[in-house]
Formats: sequence, structure tokens, C-alpha cells
Amino acid sequence: MFCYQCEQTDRTGTVPGCAGAIGNCGKDAATSDLQDLLIHAAKGVAQYAAEARALGAADDEADRFLLYSVFTTLTNVNFNPSRFGAMIQQAVAHRDRARAAYEQAARAAGREPRELTGPAAWQPAADPDALLKQAADVRVDAGLALVGPDVVGLRSLHLYALKGICAYAHHAHVLGKESAEVFAGVEDALAYLAGEPTDAAELLERAVGLGRLNLTVMELLDAANTGAYGPQQPTAVRTTSVEGKAILVSGHDLHDLEQLLEQTAGQGINVYTHGEMLPAHAYPLLKAHPHLVGNYGGAWQDQQREFAAFPGPILMTSNCIIEPHVSYRRRIFTTGPVGWPGVRHLSEGDFTPVLQAARALPGFPAEPEPAPEKLLTVGFGADAVLAVADRVTAAVRSGAIRHFFLVGGCDGPTPGRDYYTEFAVGAPADTMVLTLGCAKYRFNGHDFGEIGGIPRLLDLGQCNDTHSAIRIAVALAEAFECEVNDLPLTLVLSWTEQKAVAVLLALLALGIRNIHLGPTLPGFLTPDLVDALVQRFDLRVIGDPAADLAAALEPAGQ
Amino acid sequence: MTGHQVVLTTTDGARLELCCPPGGTVLEAAAEAGAALPASCKQGTCGSCHATVTSGEYDLGPHSALALPPDELPHGGVLLCRTVPCGPLTAELPYPQSRILYGGVPERAAEVESITTVARDTVRLVVTLTDSPDCQFDAGQFVELELPGTGARRAYSLANTGNWEGRMEFYIRLRPDGAFSGPLAERVRPGDPLTVHGPQGAFGLHETGLRPRWLLAGGTGLAPLLAMARQMAEWQDPQPARLFLGANTPADLFGDPELKAVAAELPSFQYEFTVREADPGWTGPVGTPADLLARALSAHTGPAPDLYVCGPPPMVDAVRRAAPDCQVFHERFLAT
Repeated sequence: MFCYQCEQTDRTGTVPGCAGAIGNCGKDAATSDLQDLLIHAAKGVAQYAAEARALGAADDEADRFLLYSVFTTLTNVNFNPSRFGAMIQQAVAHRDRARAAYEQAARAAGREPRELTGPAAWQPAADPDALLKQAADVRVDAGLALVGPDVVGLRSLHLYALKGICAYAHHAHVLGKESAEVFAGVEDALAYLAGEPTDAAELLERAVGLGRLNLTVMELLDAANTGAYGPQQPTAVRTTSVEGKAILVSGHDLHDLEQLLEQTAGQGINVYTHGEMLPAHAYPLLKAHPHLVGNYGGAWQDQQREFAAFPGPILMTSNCIIEPHVSYRRRIFTTGPVGWPGVRHLSEGDFTPVLQAARALPGFPAEPEPAPEKLLTVGFGADAVLAVADRVTAAVRSGAIRHFFLVGGCDGPTPGRDYYTEFAVGAPADTMVLTLGCAKYRFNGHDFGEIGGIPRLLDLGQCNDTHSAIRIAVALAEAFECEVNDLPLTLVLSWTEQKAVAVLLALLALGIRNIHLGPTLPGFLTPDLVDALVQRFDLRVIGDPAADLAAALEPAGQ
Repeated sequence: MTGHQVVLTTTDGARLELCCPPGGTVLEAAAEAGAALPASCKQGTCGSCHATVTSGEYDLGPHSALALPPDELPHGGVLLCRTVPCGPLTAELPYPQSRILYGGVPERAAEVESITTVARDTVRLVVTLTDSPDCQFDAGQFVELELPGTGARRAYSLANTGNWEGRMEFYIRLRPDGAFSGPLAERVRPGDPLTVHGPQGAFGLHETGLRPRWLLAGGTGLAPLLAMARQMAEWQDPQPARLFLGANTPADLFGDPELKAVAAELPSFQYEFTVREADPGWTGPVGTPADLLARALSAHTGPAPDLYVCGPPPMVDAVRRAAPDCQVFHERFLAT
């Protein structure tokens, strides 16, 4: 295996990357190799699907498969090699159908169909051992000796951003929002990679283009979430337990949560959110369920300890699963793109086994002396913030608000992430801290106080809610009649996996400069590529929190 | 107390370090350390504590050649209930860490829900746990059933899948002199109490396997393989699966409705029956599951399947001979 798609990647060698029997995320070599082969097969699907689409024979079913299958290869989503073996076969079937549609459309248009090469012509070996051997030719650093590390790094940047885009687009799809533009963009990007591009300048331009595609996807996802469940509303969420049977839901998929809430209605079972599911409490149609009682635990990397202590079953709906400990392996369930060998997968939206487990397990006991109720306030999506835009802009003009910091992204287990705690907590009292993603767990227990009745810490939602942050920034820029880069706003991002890569490119595509990124820069970016991004976008790596804060607050021009 | 250092490694890389007193077996030392390793008879006859020694000297006590075939001895094959280290020893365990019971074998209170005759001298026993509906086990595992007051415990494989309804299903061959099955046939009725020891055992699906799964059963050896097929259907495992069941005569066959239900849920699943002695009404193949396997393999064009086998030792050995190129996971059972 060779994988360097996430922030945890092994950096002990001369070249960053996990290349042993098991990656730092827990993915074994066979699963990693099969993921590479699935991506290769997906490129083949995209090649013919793009040709068919150009002739008016779009195959949306193939595109939905692309979104789902590429999503499964994200960090901490699916660790089950047999699922990848099956998806490779499914990809071949989708490709052959797209090919037939293309050939028929070409002939109908009076043209002789072309025979595409590369992944479009690839055949997976039937024998599993032979199939795994094929991975060496298609892994992410294939062709390194021929094209050099910069081109391989840029192709990786493309692929990983595309993985994040597919994940977000799949989330929108399950809520009924699709777009031909997105389907076409995904096909185009995969087909481009299938051609093994070598022009570094073109690769960089197209990477920015992927950022623009992701802006469209994030807008679509925002419309999907708010369309299905109403705009987020500021909501205080209980973080202490309630006596009774309990189910914990983790991951990002609001649709899965909704189905579970419907199936548990009136059953005497309380539902708790975990990790990135916390913002669900802010959606009117989700929080209307009285048995959605609170939030349990913190960010994903603490799940082994937290899940072991939870007295009920756990449902994992999307990234970020890590190896289930023996103590809870038989009471954790996966759904959607998620998988772990030996963990029960529920694929049809029927969560009956989860309910049965909840009834059989003890749940939270009655506390003789209940702990004081602790609350977190969430729900400051764009609609909620823009509703008080006049007060915010007035506070800026009066000097009550000096600066905005957006401190967000993914949390993770690697060292150096205390930076985000120190940065957010250290932000002066006349500054606002906006946050999203699970990095917020580093500081959302801190009392930030208020400015003029507006909470200083505004939780915008999941990483899936990046569009909210963009809407707020654009609205502020309009209010002050300036560019986003001219606002008193500093973006401080924490990354772990490929959704963050897609978000980063979206922000760069908007022309936002001076983004602080950490805790380290991606392993797939070579020093030359880092230089290029620094020169073009003033991208910077996080340093000392106090110094970075001070620098951000210096008046422009000093 | 001095002893020999023993290091055991599971398939998922977990290490278990033990100090084995002189003259003691590895199985005893593990139990003394609070880790109950998969084992059943503990007297060298069932083969369920099979492992592979990778370094070190040891004495291997008396055991059945059916439980540990002689051809495995040169490759370090041992039964841990009969393995007495003579010095430092390392061994590989053929199962993941999750199959080791830390803190001993659980003891559960249960009662008989139903006893149904499904074939000649064969019943389906359904048991309900009465202490809690938490009934988690892996397909392929067994429990020991004990009738209160008799002191007799006998091991039976579970035929259903782990659940939260406290339900356990078994297929039991009735033997007039059987320590458990004798009383079961004579006097046990629905509502009677039982004690359940387990789940235990290392037999189970290779969870990360990419190859087709072919399941071969002899008689009531169907139980753990039915559990595996049912789990594959419930979990929608993608590996193509086939099952071959053999019995002595058509009157000894059972399991058709249950396997039909699996096939309805798992489109890739196929199954076949065979008997050693046909009667006039029998139109199916005559022979053993190993014969069915040989025929199926000769017609098979896909990747070599993994074989999961449960039946009497001669059947397990026949399957291994019929498919020397396949990986074989097996559970041997002996009449009790």
C-alpha cells in the first residue's frame, strides 16, 4: 500500500506516506490497494459517462455510484476489503453500461464511437490475489519516476479534493438534491485524471476549478439540509445524560438521523448526537423530536473511550469511524458508505437491530444527585447570523467588534492541535470566533461571553456547512462594500481528511488569501507545490498561537 | 513461581504473554492468567484449541489423530490443551483477539422455548436467555448447555445469529445414551430451565476474506454454517456463497426451509443436499459433501473459494483432500 491522503500519514520516512501493513488510520494494505483499484475503475466509469453525457446520454445512475463509491475511500469511512472487491465489480458494470449508452448515442449522431483507453479499458482480475497485484500499477504515486513528485502531488491534490466533493455531493443526494453540473464536473475531473495529466500549470488551474465545483456542491448541500429540515436556529444543547435507554448517532448524515428519530418515536429511547452530528440539534424539523435529548462525547478521535462508556448502541452514519474496540464491537452499527469488518452493516434505512440493542442494553441510570445540566449553543448558520447582520455591522463600525476569526475544520489525534484551543480562547474580548467542523470541540466548552448580546462564539455547524461561512463572509463584504480579503477576518483551518482539501480549494477559488492551515501541511504537497500555493494564495502554516493572533490583529499595512 | 514464557499471537496481531508453570499446559496457563482460549473437550479429542507453534520446545500429550492429524505435527500443529512447554514458546492462534474470553466463560440463565423434530433423531432446540436479552456471539461459535442438577455439559453450535432478543437456536442429534441429548429427548419440555456457558470457540467467517465462501456440512454440522449463511444474508456480505449438506439418508436431512430463506435474502447463495444412501424417492446426488465439492470445483471457473467445514473428522479430512488448493476453516465434532 501507499497512502498519504490524510493528515495522520506516516512522516517518519524520507517521503511522507503510509506504506506498511497497516496505515496510521488503521486501514490495512489490502483495503488500501482495493481503494486505489476502485478509484481506477471509477475513472473508467467517468470516461465513458462523460462521453455519453456530451452526446445527450447522461447516466445519472453511474454518477450516483461515483459519488458513493469515491466517498467510501475517504479517510475513516470504510475499512472492509470485501465491500471494495464488490464495488470494483459494480464499477465495471456501470462503465460497461455507460459505454453502451455512449456508443449508441454516437451511432445515433452518425459518428463512429471511439474506443477509450486507460481505466476505461481496464479489466479487474477475477482472482483476489491477482487483483491485489494490479494495484501496484494504479496507486496514487504510480508513474513517480516518470513524471516526478510535483505532478504526482498535484494529481493527488486533485483526487483528494474530488473525494471530498463526492462526499459532500453524496450527502446532498440522499436529501434529494442533485445537479447535472456536479455530475458533469465529477465525471470531467475523474476522466481528466484517467489521462494521467503531466502539465503542472494546468493541473494547478484545474485544482482551482475543482474548488469552484465544490462551491456549487456546498451550496447544493446547504439547500438540501435547510430544505429538508429548515434553516438552523440557535439552540442550547444538553451535554449531560438523561435517565433511560439510549442510542448514540455519529457521523454527518442528517437523513439517517431523521430515519432513526422516526423509528424511535414513542419507543422510550433517547437519541444522542456525537461528533459532527451535534449541529443536528439546530434544525427545526430534527429538534422537534423530543427524544433527541442531547450531545454525548467530543470529536471523532476520542470515540474508542467514549463509545466503550456509552450504555447503548452506536450508529455510525459517515466518516469518521476508527477501529471499534472489542468492548463495543457488537453494539456499533454502520450504515451508508461506512464499514468495518465484523461490524453489522444496516444498508436499507431499517434500524430495527439498533432499537433492539437499545432495549436490551442498560441505558443511563437515574442519578441520585443529577449533575448540573451543561449546555452548548449551536445553530448559527448563515440564516441565523444574517438575521442579526445589522447589529453585527453596527458593532464593527462602533469598534465593539474589532475582528472575526473563523477557527474550524477537522479535529484529530495528531500533536499540535492544542494550537486551535489556545488561538480561540486567546482571541481578545472584542473579537468574534466563528467555528464549524469538529475542531470546535477543542474550545466550545469555554465561556466566550457576548458582544452586545451576540455570543462571541458562533457555531456554524458541520464541515458540511461551509457554505454558511462563505455566505456570511460575502454578506459582510457587501455590507462594508469591500472584498472578502479586505474584511477584518482571519481563517484558521484545521485539516485531517479529504473533505477539508475540497473546502480549502473552494476558499482558494473564491480568492481568499492568508488562510492559516495546520497542524501540518498535507504530505502530498511537495516543497515546490507549497511554494506555489504560498506565492499565489499567501497560504501559511500555523505557528505560535499568540504570535499568529497578534499578527492577524495588526492594522493593515504594518 | 518460575515457569516458561509463552507468547501467543492472534490473527489480528494481539499478543498474549503467559508464564506457564513446569508441567502445565498452555491452555491452563492462559486460564490462570484470566484468558479463556477457545477450547471444548480439554482432553485432546475435539481439536477446538488448535494452534501452531512457531518456536520453542514442547511435549504434546495424548490426543486423537482425528482432532490433530499427524501431518500437522511437523508444521508445529498442536492442541493447546495437550501442549506442555519445555522452555520459552511462541505460537500463533488461528482466531482474532475477540474470541478470547477475558474473565472466563460467561454463564447465562435460560429456558427452553421449543423442541421440534426436524429429521430422524434430530431436533431443533430454541432457547431463550432469561437473565438479559443481550445475546451476542459470532456465527460459528458454540455454547455448552447444561441441564440443572445433572452436571453434564455438552457443546452445541449456535445456528442463528447474534441478536438482542435472547434467542439461541441449535440442531441436536438425539442419542439415547447422550449425556444431554438423552434427557432432552426423554423429559425436557418448553419452559424448563437451562444453563448456557459461552459463547465460545474460534470457528467463524474470515471477515476480510475476498474469496467466495463455500460451506460444507455433515449432519448437525449444518448449525454453525447455517449461522454463517444467515449472517451473510443479514449483513448482505458480497462474497458469493454456496452450501453443501450431506446426511446418511434422506430421512436424516433437514434445514431446507431455513436455507431457502437465506437464498431469498442473499441472491448469490446456492445450496445442495447429498445422501450416502438413497431411498426410492431420492432424486438428488448420492455421496458425501466432499464428492459434491469435487464436482463443483471441477466446474468452477472463478477464484478458488475459501472452505468452511463442520462435520465428523473423516469428512473434514476428505474435504481437505478434495480441495488441496483451498484455504480450509473447519470445526470437527465428535459424538457426545
